Amino acid sequence: MIITILYYVLTAYIAFLIVWNLLKRKKWQEEILYIIILMPFLLRLFRLK
Amino acid sequence: MVVTYIIAKVLKVSTELSMFAAALTGGLAGGVGIPARHIVEGAFTYLDIILIFITATLFMNILKESGGVAFVVRGILKKFFRRKSILFVLISLLLLLPGALTGAGSVTVLITGGMIAVVLGYMGISKPKTAAIIFILAGMSAAAPPVSLWAMLTAAGVNMPYVGFFLPLLIPCLFLSLITIFILGSRGKPVNLEKALKELPEAPQKMNWIRVSLPFLVFLFLVLAGRIWPHSLPVVGLPMMFMAAAFISLLLSPVKINFLKISRDTVHQLLPLIGTLTCVGILVQIMTLTGVRGLIAITTVTLPLVAVFITLCLVLPVSEAVLMWGAAPVLGVPLVLLFNTIGLNPIIALAGMSVIWPLGDALPPTAIIGRLTADTVGMKEPYSELLKYCIIPAVIIMAVGTLMVIFSKKLAFFTLL
Amino acid sequence: MSWLYLRKFTLIALGLVLMVFAGVSFFESRHLKEPVVLSRGVTQVKKLSAYFPGVKGTISDSNIYVLEGAKPGGTILILGGTHPEEPGSRLTTWILTENAVADQGRVFVINSANRSATTVTRLGGGYPPDFTIHTKWGEQKFRMGDRWSNPLDQWPDPEAYIHYPSRQELAYVDIRNLNRAFPGRANGTLTEKTCYALIQLIQKEKVDIVIDLHEAELQYPVISTIVAHEKGQNLAAMASMMISGTEGFSIGMEYSPPALHGLSHREIGDHTQAISLLLEAPEPFLDATRGRTDRRLLLEGKDEFVVKAGKHGLLFEKMDENGWPIEVRVGRHCSTILQILELWSEENPEKSVIVKGVPRYAEVIEKGIGNFLHDPAKADPKRVYYE
Repeated sequence: MIITILYYVLTAYIAFLIVWNLLKRKKWQEEILYIIILMPFLLRLFRLK
Repeated sequence: MVVTYIIAKVLKVSTELSMFAAALTGGLAGGVGIPARHIVEGAFTYLDIILIFITATLFMNILKESGGVAFVVRGILKKFFRRKSILFVLISLLLLLPGALTGAGSVTVLITGGMIAVVLGYMGISKPKTAAIIFILAGMSAAAPPVSLWAMLTAAGVNMPYVGFFLPLLIPCLFLSLITIFILGSRGKPVNLEKALKELPEAPQKMNWIRVSLPFLVFLFLVLAGRIWPHSLPVVGLPMMFMAAAFISLLLSPVKINFLKISRDTVHQLLPLIGTLTCVGILVQIMTLTGVRGLIAITTVTLPLVAVFITLCLVLPVSEAVLMWGAAPVLGVPLVLLFNTIGLNPIIALAGMSVIWPLGDALPPTAIIGRLTADTVGMKEPYSELLKYCIIPAVIIMAVGTLMVIFSKKLAFFTLL
Repeated sequence: MSWLYLRKFTLIALGLVLMVFAGVSFFESRHLKEPVVLSRGVTQVKKLSAYFPGVKGTISDSNIYVLEGAKPGGTILILGGTHPEEPGSRLTTWILTENAVADQGRVFVINSANRSATTVTRLGGGYPPDFTIHTKWGEQKFRMGDRWSNPLDQWPDPEAYIHYPSRQELAYVDIRNLNRAFPGRANGTLTEKTCYALIQLIQKEKVDIVIDLHEAELQYPVISTIVAHEKGQNLAAMASMMISGTEGFSIGMEYSPPALHGLSHREIGDHTQAISLLLEAPEPFLDATRGRTDRRLLLEGKDEFVVKAGKHGLLFEKMDENGWPIEVRVGRHCSTILQILELWSEENPEKSVIVKGVPRYAEVIEKGIGNFLHDPAKADPKRVYYE
């Protein structure tokens, strides 16, 4: 149980890093890619998938 | 799908986004529109592997930043600079271990690849050659037992227990690794210690073997503990094991490290790889949904048997290049069932296939491990240089793998069953 | 500058739209309520946690439908949804729970043995989230599931799964496969706890026979068969013979391999007093060579690529343009269960389990599955349960 919670914390931290990088980037291709990779992290965090 | 992919590439769109575009048009052409559920479900396919990539790289980046990597390389050089052969065997084992334990060649590249690259550099081996050595050995480490994901996923797909694979995987992986390093490293000279030590970055004064090895020991302990006492300990999973190692190296670092910055940089450094994995997942999902995956599988397994054997060494790497581990359920399962039907030994045949599969990790469109290796080694030459040096060992690996499939019945004693 | 932000905003908005649509779909399929209108033969509905409190409050706390005959006799347990990507298995249990009446002995039915796995579809599989069965009163929707428990209920996976207690190494994902986790552990993962709870049920209720319902791809050698533990070999062999002679279809019989661990047919037989049998029906939807993956393939079982594989001798079951419709698959399970019970009752009169109201193979094909599903809107609400 504790380990599962740690995984959600890790997921939240990585999602935060992805969002931060997404906001800082200026190339459109990188922006799209960041948005695509963000999706599974957010949906796992919201416990939807 | 293929046309969209090519157009996107011509328009200089990255490989990852070209695959995403191919998936979108595949959905439209397949009459399923833009299926949000399937796109996002596909994006989930490699989430756990992405977590391993991020945490392992974070650990290695912290170790590098703390001066640990420089310290280890200097240590190895001082001890073994005269003996090339011993150094090669040692390097092979260091490269084989992480991937063998985790099933991921990427972990080998990330954990020991960088350090080994520096050592090989001081032996006068060029960066593309070094990258080729590390790439091939990383592939062999992934195929090596105890954890060989291709064999495991295929075995699971045909409801075959993952037993009897230890020797059929270990012997070829070890043998092919040593052959590779001795062939590609044959021109390597004993290290000029003085020059090397002068050029290498100095490790921080307070750095010592305990500070460097403790995070690795903790990681190794967690991996081994999970295997020795699997029913007394909770499931930790590789990402958390890497995080534990990362935090320990952060705590033990003699220099101050900005954890947030290094984390952000790690995610950005891995963007092409994570992006590829995510987009491959989406592409496979849409291919399955529209029946393209089935078309590929049925075309492959209905070829004449001789053609299957002859093309095996090409089909497997190509499937790996497109689908990565997805190749195991897509092609591995029907092929093993085909081999089983014609009376071959499925364990040896699958072991032979598992040795060939990792070669595809250097091939476009994904080239995940190939690109990761080139990146880790710091190769400035064109990527094709890496591929060029892979050819000879790759041909040997393909031959060994294919022969294992063809003569699987005669080699069945290796399974010890 | 403003252009940059406008672009960023637009891309993020597009991403959010995609995510919201997908998220809603995931949420809906995880929370879709599947009604079960109890047959008059169902005398009790228990929870799995009654046998092992370790699953109380978890998604694995499945309903157990108990049918008790007036006359004492033997006890059988029927497991549906061990692998919820095999819908013929769950639909058979629906027919039982909505229609069967026990005259003698007791029948325990579980429609969602791995309930967590009913709430997720396979990554990369392109599965539809649900499917619909037509009935006289309308349509009934069912969740399409996966082979493995939902990672939302069991996360993370180890890098290698070492089975308890055999220590056999299995693919890491199979730590979430109910049919690789038997006999389970009280302090293990959710999937192992579910298996442990099922073993407790089998032991406490002195179950005589456990029948685990499955479907398999046609390229898989164990198909259209009864896989039997040593204890059930005679029963399975007799059932196979009788079915092939009387029911209008053939079913084989195979021995449960002693070296293959974690499976119900092996571990339930080894760790409890019960005879364990596993039934496999053909499901072309699962074949790796299948074409378009949709609800039609799931229910009609027709696929030209799988037909082509058959023509090349790659299948272990016949496949033609008629395919393997869901009625045929469910009908096979119904008749096989009935034959097993009849033979068991003949051989063990004091432990007979006599059941009526369950359609046989020909009747399921003729009338369709929907004919045996009842309208929850018209039923006594106290007799409607949800999976």
